[in-house]
Amino acid sequence: MHDVINHLINTVFGLGWPGWAISLIAYLLIATILFMIVPFQMLFLTYFERRAIARMQDRVGPNRVGPEGIFQPVADGVKMFTKEDIVPDAADKWVHLIGPGIVVAPTMFMFAVLPWGPGMVPFDMNIGLLFFFAISSVSAVGLMASGWASNNKFALLGAMRAVAQMVSYEIPAVLSLLAIVLVTGSLSIVDLITFQSGLFISSSDVPGIPDFGLGWFVFTPVGFLAFIAFFIAALAEGERTPFDIPEADSEIVAGYMTEYSGMKFGLFYLAQYVLNFLLCAITAIIFFGGWQGPGVGWLYAQAITPANPAGNGLFNVLAGVLGVFYFLAKTYFFFFVMVWVRGAYARLRIDQLMDFGWKLLIPLTLVNVVSAAIWVGLTKWGAADGLAFVEGWAPLMRWAVAFVITLVMNLVAYFFLVRVYSQSQDERARLDDEVLERLTNVA
Amino acid sequence: MDIQRGNIIVMDRRRGTLRAGQGLLQGLKVVWDHWVGSFRKNDNFSQIHGTFTIEYPDERMKLPQAYRNMPVLLYDDETGQELCTACYQCARACPPEVIHITQAKDPNTGKMVPASLEFIIEYDACMSCGLCAEACPFDAIKMDHFYELSTDNRMGLMQRKADLNRPVSYYTSIAPDLWDEVKEGAMKKLQGSIKRRPDVIGIAGHLSEKIAARRRQLAAEAAASPPAPVAAAPAAPAGKLSPEEKAAKLAAMRAAKAGGAEPAAEAPAPAAELSPADAKAAKLAAIKAANAAKKAAESPAAEVPAAPLDEKAAKLAAIRAANAAKAAAEAPAAPLDEKAAKLAAIRAANAAKKKSE
Ligand code: SF4
Ligand code: SF4
Repeated sequence: MHDVINHLINTVFGLGWPGWAISLIAYLLIATILFMIVPFQMLFLTYFERRAIARMQDRVGPNRVGPEGIFQPVADGVKMFTKEDIVPDAADKWVHLIGPGIVVAPTMFMFAVLPWGPGMVPFDMNIGLLFFFAISSVSAVGLMASGWASNNKFALLGAMRAVAQMVSYEIPAVLSLLAIVLVTGSLSIVDLITFQSGLFISSSDVPGIPDFGLGWFVFTPVGFLAFIAFFIAALAEGERTPFDIPEADSEIVAGYMTEYSGMKFGLFYLAQYVLNFLLCAITAIIFFGGWQGPGVGWLYAQAITPANPAGNGLFNVLAGVLGVFYFLAKTYFFFFVMVWVRGAYARLRIDQLMDFGWKLLIPLTLVNVVSAAIWVGLTKWGAADGLAFVEGWAPLMRWAVAFVITLVMNLVAYFFLVRVYSQSQDERARLDDEVLERLTNVA
Repeated sequence: MDIQRGNIIVMDRRRGTLRAGQGLLQGLKVVWDHWVGSFRKNDNFSQIHGTFTIEYPDERMKLPQAYRNMPVLLYDDETGQELCTACYQCARACPPEVIHITQAKDPNTGKMVPASLEFIIEYDACMSCGLCAEACPFDAIKMDHFYELSTDNRMGLMQRKADLNRPVSYYTSIAPDLWDEVKEGAMKKLQGSIKRRPDVIGIAGHLSEKIAARRRQLAAEAAASPPAPVAAAPAAPAGKLSPEEKAAKLAAMRAAKAGGAEPAAEAPAPAAELSPADAKAAKLAAIKAANAAKKAAESPAAEVPAAPLDEKAAKLAAIRAANAAKAAAEAPAAPLDEKAAKLAAIRAANAAKKKSE
């Protein structure tokens, strides 16, 4: 965007504006576009989810407002806006008011580092991934604030659960990303995507692999395990079923949203769906190559880029369109999976959630980090790093050995940990039964 | 998978062979199958896949005949006669007591008639139990299939007889088999109660042409019967009389009695011995009253709500005529008597006319 604006103002009109003015205009423009896209994404996601879940339950879903009900979210939005805003007497008014804002704001910040297509990233931070996850945890503060300020036991319970859940599931999420970061050696999201070119094998691991934009991390054992762990953690972060414990409507009304109505409630909804979109997007980016796909790399090579200033502007557009298409298709696929999971599974109990996170996911991702280290050693290190024996192998050979070793490691770790975990769960269920029996016998 | 009705399905969940994570995948598979299957419609309800939704305002479910929503009253298509006889069985059976009935009375005799004057059901409190329809010995109240009853008017759900009346043909269209079962008995009982209904009582109020036809029929019957001879008052013609005729006859009889009372105090009062003037006057008054009443009944302006008024006026006229005749009989001067009787007759006629207008 910066380049385009610079080209337009300084080259076409010849105004010679300073760099900071160009940057300001460019970022304002980008921010405006994003703020327009984001609510529409949210509207569409709610519609998409309702239609998809309805189909899974043999229903039709909202289909009466507009063609196939596409304007249903707009009608809901109008309803939200016109509803009365009720603040409980006993609530802490100011905290109650800014709570939803604190929840929504981080989700908007996260868009700053999200690449939509080749060369289409609002701001390519070199610590993009860190920024993304650091900023996402800020919304826990908003949840806690609004739950606490509502002065309602259900709201407080919901907020407590939300925070506990977010905190414990950030660990497996970040650990699984750590494995990927080890492999790429970069925290920049754009680097992550460029790393995933190739065909089932990343062309960064094995040079000379044809670039079909399919060198995704999910095709490696390390990436696959990380993907599974990360996606489960993402479900928990986004408070999706089966981890929608903070707002479990059958237990605690609506969790931290209990005392909210009107557009403040709408803001929570917005935050939740935008966060879900972002989590699906980051899953697609980190493990499924983001905008990578057949053809994008070739198109982008012909386009005007800093590396290739003599390219053709048309290819910029083509690469952009195709890249955004791939990216959104993957993102919506993951959102569909979220809906699918919601349709299939029952809600976990809070202790099951904690058990699952701490006793299964975290050990698994820890093992995965070790696997990633082995992967990096086998594919990238040489004599200088103390691994002289791999020097003589061909890159493909090195890749294959790394693949087999990490696969075996991860499989063994998975089966071992699942066994231990299920035994502990069985033991626990048995103890519960015993206690129950004792209690019933006494009674 | 096909599910046959009435069969017990034993699901094979293969519990023992599940590996870690396999149950989760099976759950996903089930939901996926439903998702894929939902793109076609499930028509016969024996399949577990496919959309079941009937998109209500656009398409409706076919209701079974025995479906019941709210009770309605039936009337016969041909004669317009309501089947209900105001026997109160339904009101007694109704658990929330939402049925309110007023029985019709013969305006002339004041006797109860097997028909309802007003029949109210409070639909808002009716619980669609159908006990009223079960209880009715005349199959006059039946459960309707219509369910779009919502209204923004609180009293909009208090249904009067005019709102409740449905022709039998409507009921046969929604529940033909159920009607066939009871048809014969119901129509037979209806014929019986029609015989005991004077005038247009019991005809569904909105059927003005049926009411007019019934009036014409009654008038024709009355005209066909021989005129009532004053002297042979006790031996009245056996033909069916309309209430007006009855009333006029009654008046005539009374007038005759009154006329004969004074002069023939000691005698057994044979009609021939009456003073001719008195008798004549009374007879005239009676005939005039009867005519006026008939005219009122036949007048084309006689709308449904006006009918009871007409009858009332006729009755009033007859009573007045009778009174006048009595007065004439008591007075000593014959010409005066005659005059008074005449006057009374004219007055009666005027009154009747005025009322009918
Ligand atoms: S259906 Fe039941 S509640 Fe309704 S009027 Fe008949 S008896 Fe009463
Ligand atoms: S509807 Fe039936 S039960 Fe009710 S009063 Fe009329 S005849 Fe009797």
